[in-house]
Amino acid sequence: MNFSFTDEQEQLRSTLRRLLSERASSERLRAVLEAGEGIDRTLWSLLSEQLGLLGLGIPEEYGGAGFGPVETTVVFEELGGALAAVPYFSTVGLAANALLTADDEAARKDLLPGIADGSTPATLAIAERGGDGGVELAAVTTTAAPDHGGWRLTGEKAFVTDGLVAELLLVVARSDAGLGLFAVAGDAEHLAREQMSPLDPTRPLARIRFEGTPARLIGTDGGAEPGLRIALDRALGALAAEQAGGAARCLDMAVEYAKVREQFGRPIGSFQAIKHKAADMMVQVESAKSAAYYAAWAAADHSSEAALAAALAATYCADAYVAVAAENIQIHGGIGYTWEHDAHLYFRRAKSSQLLFGAPDTHRDRLAELVGI
Amino acid sequence: MQLTWSDEDEKFRAEIRAFLADHAPGRPPKGKDARLRFARDWAATKFDHGFAGPSWPVEVGGMNLPFTQQVIYQQEMARARVPSHPGTGMEMVGPTIIKHGTPAQRERFIKPMLRADELWAQAFSEPGAGSDLPSLRTTAVRDGDDYVVTGQKIWNSNAEIADMFFALVRTGAPDSRQHGITYLLIDAHAPGVDVRPLRDLTGAAHFCEIFLDEVRVPVANRVGAENEGWRITRTTLGHERSAGALNQGAFYRRIMDELIALAKERGVTADAGVRRRLVDFDIRARLMEVNALRSISQTMVSGEPGPSSSISRLFNSEFEKELHEFATDLLGAYGALATDDEDAIQRGRWVGGMLRTRASTIGAGTAEIQRNTIAEQVLQLPRDPAMPPR
Repeated sequence: MNFSFTDEQEQLRSTLRRLLSERASSERLRAVLEAGEGIDRTLWSLLSEQLGLLGLGIPEEYGGAGFGPVETTVVFEELGGALAAVPYFSTVGLAANALLTADDEAARKDLLPGIADGSTPATLAIAERGGDGGVELAAVTTTAAPDHGGWRLTGEKAFVTDGLVAELLLVVARSDAGLGLFAVAGDAEHLAREQMSPLDPTRPLARIRFEGTPARLIGTDGGAEPGLRIALDRALGALAAEQAGGAARCLDMAVEYAKVREQFGRPIGSFQAIKHKAADMMVQVESAKSAAYYAAWAAADHSSEAALAAALAATYCADAYVAVAAENIQIHGGIGYTWEHDAHLYFRRAKSSQLLFGAPDTHRDRLAELVGI
Repeated sequence: MQLTWSDEDEKFRAEIRAFLADHAPGRPPKGKDARLRFARDWAATKFDHGFAGPSWPVEVGGMNLPFTQQVIYQQEMARARVPSHPGTGMEMVGPTIIKHGTPAQRERFIKPMLRADELWAQAFSEPGAGSDLPSLRTTAVRDGDDYVVTGQKIWNSNAEIADMFFALVRTGAPDSRQHGITYLLIDAHAPGVDVRPLRDLTGAAHFCEIFLDEVRVPVANRVGAENEGWRITRTTLGHERSAGALNQGAFYRRIMDELIALAKERGVTADAGVRRRLVDFDIRARLMEVNALRSISQTMVSGEPGPSSSISRLFNSEFEKELHEFATDLLGAYGALATDDEDAIQRGRWVGGMLRTRASTIGAGTAEIQRNTIAEQVLQLPRDPAMPPR
């Protein structure tokens, strides 16, 4: 194992970065957010059709390109850096991983090709409405009951990322046998979805009500948990890469601004007060990258450290992103406090991704267990 | 997490393991003098068997190892817990002499340096020249074939055992700053040299002061040209520092394990706040290793260690300081005992470490200077116009 990226991986990064700078600019993002749906469908097509990124980490037998977590990490990092308004994390980080780690070959064959070619945006629903949010499997109360050879779900989920645009919902629900993973079509009957008003407008959230909604069981009845735990670790690694990419962009923004913004007749970046902030931001950004890459490499290697690395990355990257995004606003001063400036969009993304998938202390507690504290 | 190695690299690892199995000296003896002798003997053994100076050219007695094998060399030496090289700054003065010295200087100094027949100490800082080292005032005046050197140096670790100092002295005008500094190799036993121990805040003397009173230094001991000493002071060979970077991570992982064991023993891990803070330190220790792995991998691929290496020193120095502060907190009232009290926990190692690591963010460039360096040289932020030009 080598802890640096190959030429091909670096090329993927630069191609994607160029495309995003042209097609996912701040102006474009603002226009997409104004339009209300919170998803840039043109960008989504470019990513899936032109670059084939939806299937990047999906094995070839399911219509993907057969690469792994290291390659997708590059994509998550860049998309996070651009705050790209596409359901990539929900579709690839959550849903594809949930399918890949479930014990159900037929479901993989049926459902993954649609994810791989970009035709089926997807997501994973765990948190219950009225619950604590997060991804605590034990707190799932939505029920699943067998019905004429199929299943029906009843309950109400919340905080479902990209839950409104997803055409495939993977839902964690409880039957008499325990936790199961269920697939629900976006246009299923007895399904009601509504947009929540998210802190981070670039990552829409939905409340989803299941009122006897028809569903397909993925894997075995009551047997979802082991696969889901691995899937969630991979999702946390993906999220950490997004966070590292976002933090890196915040540092870039702050440094560029500090070079040109003049006060007292000189660039503010020439003051030590700003330099020291920037240096501390860089320490956090580089360490966040290390943490995210560590999680990716451990996952790619099927290392025994994979769970530990995911919890480590989840903890470190979440906090680092919030800290760096906050300092970015501070370095920008007044302009950073305006709606027009992007600094708050990064801060919103940082805070929301710090809290949506288990607050850092829950990851710390898991890490404590894993390292034996 | 592990790096993968080529067959050739693994062959080298087997060689160095065989050498260590046959020659590693085992546990160090008690007593300062005996321990120094022990470390010097080990340096000589390494040299005599061709295992000294991993990144240094073969012509001067080094091994000229490719970078990957330097990493293996450092790993295996750390694993075998052999003594480190006695003295201070061999990794600074050695490469400087090798790259910028005369053939006669290489001939005269490198082999005794590698064998620890002669011990070295650094003489850069002065009472009036710390972070602003280019303002140093120790003067060297040319007199025939000698320089006559007068001034005071401070914070010189190992000066009391050194045979030679590598020093920066002023040969230009008083205000010539970095344009009037010359690099000299000074005989520590020459007349006019007075080395005095400096008692530091820990209560012990880890450093010295060096007083130089009209010390005659042969011009032949000047490295590089007169007034051109500044630019060669940071000479290194083959990314030595990156090659050893993993060891510090591994070292702190061990310390973390020991701290976790202590915390459990004292029953403080039942507290969620304590547990989470321990986790945060554990994360940082692990990231130290990943940062090092990234620099090493990057150096293997591109020949340059990349951005993760530029933050390592700041990251690590803040870490070890805060870690010992936290460890001392965990001791409760026992954290208020000096290291020599009979009830001191683990013979005061954490309290002693808390005091000792005050130096982590001061020595070899303060944390503030590190931040300036990262900001200006990596992030390319503009210089403070009030600062003298670099």
